[in-house]
Amino acid sequence: MASRLANWLDERLAWRQVWDAIFLRKVPKINWLFTLGSATLFVGVNQAVTGILLTLYYVPTPDHAYNSVQYITTEVTAGWLIRGLHHWGASALVVLTVLHMLRVIFHGAYKYPREVTWWTGVGLLLIVIGFGFTGYLLPWDQKAYWATTVGTRIAEVTPVIGNWILRIMRGGEELSAVTLARFFGVHIWVLPATVLLLVGAHLYLIIHIGISAVPKREE
Amino acid sequence: MEESQDINRRSFMSIATWAIGALISAAFAIPGVAYIIGPALRGREAQEWIRLGSTSKVELNVPTLFKARIQRKTGWIVNEEELAVYVRTDNGRDFVAMSNICTHLGCRVRWISDQDHFFCPCHNAVFDTEGNVASGPPPRALDRFEVKAEDGQLYVLGG
Ligand code: HEM
Ligand code: FES
Repeated sequence: MASRLANWLDERLAWRQVWDAIFLRKVPKINWLFTLGSATLFVGVNQAVTGILLTLYYVPTPDHAYNSVQYITTEVTAGWLIRGLHHWGASALVVLTVLHMLRVIFHGAYKYPREVTWWTGVGLLLIVIGFGFTGYLLPWDQKAYWATTVGTRIAEVTPVIGNWILRIMRGGEELSAVTLARFFGVHIWVLPATVLLLVGAHLYLIIHIGISAVPKREE
Repeated sequence: MEESQDINRRSFMSIATWAIGALISAAFAIPGVAYIIGPALRGREAQEWIRLGSTSKVELNVPTLFKARIQRKTGWIVNEEELAVYVRTDNGRDFVAMSNICTHLGCRVRWISDQDHFFCPCHNAVFDTEGNVASGPPPRALDRFEVKAEDGQLYVLGG
């Protein structure tokens, strides 16, 4: 039954071709370091799932943000777990992304023909950092408030356009309800949409070009 | 021989991968579902006796409307809400306390003295002085509160 359905679908969608291209593609003899990208992707999916769940209760306004987060952690069933996964996953994502990038650097895997893969990777690194920066404000506690105060001040140090950047980030001169709302919007809409595009491009290129082998001495 | 060994190893890996994948999915799905439905399954918080007012306000055989302010916690927000209760007595000692929420779809009913009945404006339900359905779509009589009178004051159990 299941296999008949699979065949029926395959006849119209050719999904087996896609499946084989993704999972049965040839890879050179590689090592565990090559799993770092997949590990990053896994934690990224964790962030997406737990993040979507958090939006079910979280409210991004100064009068509700803190209390709604406390509600999630102390009163919602498994809320501590969902928030914990998202919280620790955020740090893990940064660490894994950097480790993955280091592996690519040490193996020289960024060279021809993989330059574009590298560029999309650079975009992904920036987005991962952007997720961390915008997400940190959302609990709206003292740590969040002051971290963002400092973070936006750091951006202000930029020559010439610094104050302008600070105002755009804060949505005004001060940290306010406007800041919280836009950080939330960026965190759950802008960055996820961009990350989807870039991860798609990144993975397409990995499959299309094929993974690079571990560099050898003679080469 | 070598060939069949190869296939076994391959299918073993395949099964192991699917099994681990299923395990991880369950590890997310189970807490995820609990998280989504958790607050929906939680009942009202502890009930307590709410003071309505003096028993002397209730005239014989006339449902009298009492309003009490109560605190109700929804999510992380504590709201002041109004609890409206119709109290009726036919001897000045035994009281009946009825909710003013229509048992059809939740509109508020009103006692119309001239006609000796409760009327619901939404779909024309009519309840008699005891709260029983006289006509209209409601499936059951008006809900009742547990009620007590102490030192000339009326209390209902609610929350
Ligand atoms: C969200 C972050 C990222 C995800 C989910 C991700 C995912 C992956 C995956 C699954 C692979 C397959 C091979 C492997 O895992 O080593 C890969 C390869 C690669 N990644 Fe990333 N990556 C991310 C960030 C980056 C960053 C920050 C860079 C560098 C700036 C980068 C550059 C590359 C390159 C050049 C390859 C090809 C390596 C090769 O062919 O040997 N990636 N990526
Ligand atoms: S809600 Fe009262 S009659 Fe429908």
